[in-house]
Amino acid sequence: MPQVHVRLFAGLHDLVGKRDLVLDLPPGATIGLLRERLGEEYPVVQPFLSTLVCAVDEEYVPSGHLLGDGDDVALIPPISGG
Amino acid sequence: MFAITREPLDPRSLVEAVRCDECGAVVLFYGVVRNENLGRSVRYLEYDAYEAMALKKLRAVADEVRAKFPVTDIGVLHRIGRLEVGETSLLVAVSSGHRREAFEACHYAVDRIKETVPIWKKEVWEDGSEWIEGHVPEVPKVTGDG
Repeated sequence: MPQVHVRLFAGLHDLVGKRDLVLDLPPGATIGLLRERLGEEYPVVQPFLSTLVCAVDEEYVPSGHLLGDGDDVALIPPISGG
Repeated sequence: MFAITREPLDPRSLVEAVRCDECGAVVLFYGVVRNENLGRSVRYLEYDAYEAMALKKLRAVADEVRAKFPVTDIGVLHRIGRLEVGETSLLVAVSSGHRREAFEACHYAVDRIKETVPIWKKEVWEDGSEWIEGHVPEVPKVTGDG
């Protein structure tokens, strides 16, 4: 069962109260499934999902991206640097 | 020179890092903390970043700029943590043979930083605070190694 490391930033960090999570996902899990799971396990994240994008190993990835054991996933709400 | 740092930014060292003897122009952009936004008085800003990825994306913006404009060099420094009104959050320096390319490349670089680099700002007001939602980064349709 792939276990992935999830990083939280900005408003998500404040809402969940943690910088990191570990999620166990079924084999063949994609970013899309991880998003669904997050919404179920952390309902506070639900309103953010429509604008949230994900990065794996420091690159933005689409919902169909397959996750493997030990992957490092970052949840990226709309950015506002500068 | 590229960095994400909690320390105050030093414009002189950045300009010196991108300047060269062939350069007739260096354009330096300062992003500065403003005391209001959308009619609300801002006390200070708090910046968060995915630091490793942000640094990688700053370098990717620099690669884009070099591919698009005949510039000599580019450097970017972004500060995170708590910044007071008037403090500098972003410095972008671009050098080139002539001024036009340096101005255009610097403008482009600032736009792309705001569109692609995973950094967030929280506005803190007298009566509350809010993480500002700016750009949703563009995501590739498929991944190569997926």
